[in-house]
Amino acid sequence: MREVYVAGIGITSFSRLEYPLAEIAAYPAMLALRDAGLKAVDQVYVANMGSARINNQTALGSAVVDTLGLTPTGAERIENGPASGASAVKQGFLGVAAGMYEAVLVTGCERMREVNNLEATDFVATMTHPLAEYIYGVTLPAHAAMFTRLYMERYGVTARHLAMVAVKNHANAMLNPFAHLHQPITVEGILDSPEAFTNNPYVAEPLRFFDCCPVSDGGAAVILASREKMAELGKPLIRLAGIGQATDTLAVFERPDPTDLLAVRRSAASAFAMAGLTPGDVHVAELHDAFTILEIVESEEAGFFPKGEGHLALEKGATALGGPLPINPSGGLKGKGHPVGATGVGQVHEIVTQLRGDAGERQVAGAKVGFTCNFGGFGNNVISMVFVREE
Amino acid sequence: MERQIHAYACRRCGALHYPFRMVCRECGENGPHEFDPVPLPKEGTLLTFTFVHNLPAEYEVARLGLGVVELSNGLRMLGQLDIADPKLGMKVVGEVEVVRREAYARRYGMVFRAA
Repeated sequence: MREVYVAGIGITSFSRLEYPLAEIAAYPAMLALRDAGLKAVDQVYVANMGSARINNQTALGSAVVDTLGLTPTGAERIENGPASGASAVKQGFLGVAAGMYEAVLVTGCERMREVNNLEATDFVATMTHPLAEYIYGVTLPAHAAMFTRLYMERYGVTARHLAMVAVKNHANAMLNPFAHLHQPITVEGILDSPEAFTNNPYVAEPLRFFDCCPVSDGGAAVILASREKMAELGKPLIRLAGIGQATDTLAVFERPDPTDLLAVRRSAASAFAMAGLTPGDVHVAELHDAFTILEIVESEEAGFFPKGEGHLALEKGATALGGPLPINPSGGLKGKGHPVGATGVGQVHEIVTQLRGDAGERQVAGAKVGFTCNFGGFGNNVISMVFVREE
Repeated sequence: MERQIHAYACRRCGALHYPFRMVCRECGENGPHEFDPVPLPKEGTLLTFTFVHNLPAEYEVARLGLGVVELSNGLRMLGQLDIADPKLGMKVVGEVEVVRREAYARRYGMVFRAA
């Protein structure tokens, strides 16, 4: 298998975007091509979850490649729920690693704000089990809430710990010009003050508004290239060193231990094994904090902290910018936003920005190894990746 | 007739599955129709729960109780809760009722109440 590098990156603001979905995919793709110094690629992968349902558009690969003026280049859409982004990066990796392509474009996009909040919530819920979950009115916040209640009971995680994740990631997002939420918050404002219940109402008890990521539009793109191609381009050598993917039961209640996120543990272990590295080698991580509890639990399952101690590391500031392992310097899904199909590619965008040393005020000093976790469903399809800066 | 929700017993190894899957996860030996439907018991213990406030549009309630119940035969299921103040570990009993009304269909599922 050949080595694969990230040659170019591009991103839109994650927010509400008032232009067509194909352009939300094409704009960051143009930026990524320009960043890599390329005018053409051998293949285009478009990551997207909801175009058929919420934007009334199918065959998005064809639309995006034409919008980019890149026909007759091959193009396809990859849908894998909220892990679509990392899935598309993985497919691009395989194309280059196998030697079939020298350079490929992977662009992720979602336009969720085209529909209202209730329809967006229902759209996201369609990834649950149709007969055993969806028909009951279960939503992703509901899954996260039932999981959080057990985690609180077993490991002593409190609403204060959850609020601390939100406060940290909102603060990080303030330093990211592309983030959806530029809104500094405090634990007092969302938990302790007399107005807290109005500021921060329940979405699914015990999770509140500020425990949940926003509904975002957005796009993010990367160019993946072979080592030979990289030699022509003269860009920093950021290697995609490991990819791991794991699945778990579709119905969440079937899992033997309901406080385990086994697919996160397995995908991270595979990614580290492939890269020949360990969690202790990582300098910066982007985790899938669609809900505040997920950042805490993924930080344990990925191997950064022992099971049940992620919230203690958070309390000590270990995961803050300036701490020993900054998590979600971009603001994460919580602060940066969660356009579902773009999220996994957006995580790669942030890690590459960090490993290049281009992250400005949110730069993690000396970062050479980065980790991403893109969490699909409620932990039923997870992709982890390890990136290494080579000199 | 009393409505039932079914689990599926593998004809090769007897393992019970809910929800349905085409291949037995325990033995992996059975063909696609080699399962016998077995009614799910309706008594169980509440393992976790939530009240959802941000609901899909067809639910015209302020908040909806949902919970995971471990049934008396050890299988687990998700159901709606008609319980004002649920507690972890409480005994519950279910009934099959309408759990979702769509434009042209009514969906039936389990609704649990305090036993």
